[in-house]
Amino acid sequence: MDHNAYVPKLAKIIEIKEEVGGARPIKTFRAQFQNKNDFSFSCGQCAMLSVFGKGESIFAISSSPLIKDYLQFNILKMGRVTSSLHEMQVGDTIGIRGPYGNGFPLEEWKGKNLIFIGGGIGLAPIWSVLNTALGKKEEYGDLTLIYGARTSKDLVFREELEEIKKKIAVHLSIDVEESDWNEFVGFVPQNVTDKKPSPKNAITVTCGPPIMIKFVIKALEDLGFEDEQIYTTVENKMKCGIGKCGRCNIGSHYVCKDGPVYSWAELKKLPQEY
Amino acid sequence: MEKILTKKSFPLWVKELVSYKIYAPQKNGDLWNFETIKKPESINLDFPNTVLPPKNIIFPQREVLLEFESSNENKLQVKETLPDDDPTIIFGVRPCDAKALTLTDKVFSGDFKDPYYWKRRNSTVLIGLACNIPPSPNCFCLSVGGSPHSKEGLDILMTDLGDKYFVESLSEKGSTLINLAKPLFQQPKAADKKAVEKTQAEAEKKITRQIKDIKKIPSILKNMFDSPLWDEESLSCLRCGICTYLCPTCHCFDINDEVASSSPVKGKRVRTWDTCQFPDFTMHSSGHNPRPDRASRLRQRIFHKFQYFVERYQNYLCTGCGRCISKCPVGIDIIEVLDKVRDYGS
Amino acid sequence: MVNLDNLKKEANRILKEEKVKYIIGYKKSSNGLFTVPAFIKNPEEVEKLTWDPTCVYNLTRFLVDEKRKKAKEKEPDERPVGLIVKGCDSRALVVLLQEKFINRDDVYILGVSCEETGVLDEKKLAKTLKGKKVKNIEFGKNDNFVVTTKDGKTEIPAKEILAERCLECNANFPVISDILFGEKVKRKSDNPFESLEKFESLSKEERWTFWKEQLDKCIRCYACRSVCPMCYCDECVADTINFAVIAETTAEEKAQKIKWVEKSPVTSENFVYHLVRAIHLAGRCIDCGECERACPLDIPLRLLNKKLEKEAKELFGYEAGFDADVPSLVSSFKDEDPEDFIR
Repeated sequence: MDHNAYVPKLAKIIEIKEEVGGARPIKTFRAQFQNKNDFSFSCGQCAMLSVFGKGESIFAISSSPLIKDYLQFNILKMGRVTSSLHEMQVGDTIGIRGPYGNGFPLEEWKGKNLIFIGGGIGLAPIWSVLNTALGKKEEYGDLTLIYGARTSKDLVFREELEEIKKKIAVHLSIDVEESDWNEFVGFVPQNVTDKKPSPKNAITVTCGPPIMIKFVIKALEDLGFEDEQIYTTVENKMKCGIGKCGRCNIGSHYVCKDGPVYSWAELKKLPQEY
Repeated sequence: MEKILTKKSFPLWVKELVSYKIYAPQKNGDLWNFETIKKPESINLDFPNTVLPPKNIIFPQREVLLEFESSNENKLQVKETLPDDDPTIIFGVRPCDAKALTLTDKVFSGDFKDPYYWKRRNSTVLIGLACNIPPSPNCFCLSVGGSPHSKEGLDILMTDLGDKYFVESLSEKGSTLINLAKPLFQQPKAADKKAVEKTQAEAEKKITRQIKDIKKIPSILKNMFDSPLWDEESLSCLRCGICTYLCPTCHCFDINDEVASSSPVKGKRVRTWDTCQFPDFTMHSSGHNPRPDRASRLRQRIFHKFQYFVERYQNYLCTGCGRCISKCPVGIDIIEVLDKVRDYGS
Repeated sequence: MVNLDNLKKEANRILKEEKVKYIIGYKKSSNGLFTVPAFIKNPEEVEKLTWDPTCVYNLTRFLVDEKRKKAKEKEPDERPVGLIVKGCDSRALVVLLQEKFINRDDVYILGVSCEETGVLDEKKLAKTLKGKKVKNIEFGKNDNFVVTTKDGKTEIPAKEILAERCLECNANFPVISDILFGEKVKRKSDNPFESLEKFESLSKEERWTFWKEQLDKCIRCYACRSVCPMCYCDECVADTINFAVIAETTAEEKAQKIKWVEKSPVTSENFVYHLVRAIHLAGRCIDCGECERACPLDIPLRLLNKKLEKEAKELFGYEAGFDADVPSLVSSFKDEDPEDFIR
């Protein structure tokens, strides 16, 4: 019999970092498998995390596949499972199964300029692909990150962003004016319009709240980007992660298996509501 | 292999199969359902349709996927709980219900084979009973590529010829069962084969309901996502789960942890049937629901069966058993809905 | 007897005069014997309306959908909905009014009287006719039903094929209506608890065995809940998300909600679900019997509800659905209420 896809592998939490506080807190978790295993994934893929007794939820893996000794997840406290995760300590055990989904076609993007556009916790799937591209910087053209959140306190990976700024162009934004903020003030799509990235030999990856994605795509179209140059990720309620339980479909696609990564050209062909 | 088995010999054959776990339609009150049988003579194959298809024997409504337990030293243990693979026989499977299993087979195969499903599926022998008389006034198997004597998915097909059964073995599993009681079976005569052909032809004529021009439906649906039809047709929908829970092809499920103790944690991860007709099926943790109303949920049921599944697996996800029509508490009729879809397209 | 033409005339009038936004009634199904709920918006569609012994549905249930829909509308149409109700259905309406779930102006009530008959029990009919296919069934004279089969018309005394609930009915004409069709016939009231009393005579062990066997059949399709006009809660203990989540609901609130009933269809969970539902219907259930009719597995749910109906009557002299102006049973107390049930 093949491997039982429903049984998660046990992993220990080795690091927890508070990224964002307040009413919608975000924490970054790093987890290490208890036993050696063959968990290999590509950027943009997801994993189903278990808090035993509470249930499972699916998350984008935010670490790069180049990192072998842990998996990283950025988790927004939202419901039952994420609340339990937020209560966990270093050393606690969780379950991980996956990887699930298609991932970004990073191999096809070699030699191209990559523009990453994220909002809020949407930086998580971008973080994996951005760091992988950074790790093989010579294989790609210019890398750019446009990232924003509601306030400066809602930006994730603040320290890491400072480091990355030394290597690539990073354009941050917050929605409303703050006293010691020197960068763009306004929504992410407005920042995109303001920075005018060139569509020439470029691929964009945009992740964030659906409303932001909608307007980012519009801004990119206005700048002359073709549908095939725009990539995004889709979220839906999931239970199995393996295209069987039947609830995450958009048209005949199961987002868990056939997604979550779609080019705007592909997404346009699917029903706009599910 | 084609054989004749007299009705008198039928219980004797069943007696030879006692090493198997045997399911057959049993009557409880006014209703028939598949239940395990204790006595070979208690099988009565003169039944209308069962309320529930035999789906729940292969894909039970509740399945424990794994057990977890945390010991005092905080060491967590997870135990996979695969079902037993006791050899099982299901008698009296209707051809539509057998065909339905060939469809759920597709879902539970692929990149991630479902071990729970396949353990039961592989250890079960399906003995079908051809429908000489449609077991429901809402039968429409002929419209969706089936027939009252379809062999698809079956290991044996039995056809009632009055005082005897015409028994066809369709797989090695089937032949094994016949060989366990070889002397009971006789070679069919030419007249028997003729009788079977006649019975089958008559049975087809007795099916009155049909979906006309079904081949056009998938492509028409493609342009009907935003049609007002879904609002109109779902006006009386109660958002209950009858149409999907009684459907032999519906297979959507939920996974939840059932906890016996929260500290130290001990419990089971359980899979249960779920349905696109319940509002919480697609509701995100944030409260956002991409399918917020009855119209979008009815549309999902119709699209899944006659568009999405066709696109993905080149089959309708419907075998025409008619249960969803007969049992809908407000008389929503999938044939009528599809008639309107077709009218919309022309 | 209900004059269908008069009913249609009135329906036509209120639609033409735009007094109602639409009418919820019964129409023939294009296939099958039973009528189906009809939502009539235009006077031209009024012809579809019908009234026969297969009008089993308690259409007040659809006021729940109407209310939900209206709540989402920015500029809601404030006109009432025209609603056709039988006696039992009208009692459901009274409960909804009493609980302020709806207002009296939300609905224009077209009452129909069952007089000495009621609605059909499909299974009883099938047994009486030994499975012969029925083409049509209508109300006849002398409290008979006129049944048309391929062999022609036969008259069957209604009592033989009436739904059990109709045999125990004590509201054979609407208790509230804007216009009434048919006569207010005072029916000789049989014992409304006859079926229950038979069951009550069983021993505790027998009753346990009975209910275990019955509730073990439950597949939790929730048809009983979905068809019930009283089950209008936005939050139900039976759902996995058993509370109404809005954008403002915090993660803590979601995480702290207790899962009362697991989705697993096992004895314990099925009992909790059905008993919670029964208790929540105490003093509210008006015995329209729709839960039992809708149940695909023939669980005798009326028995549970009848038991609570009887308790309410015996302990508090209370009968649900007769007076919208008195406080509901569970929201009120009287000095003379018995106390011996609090132990």
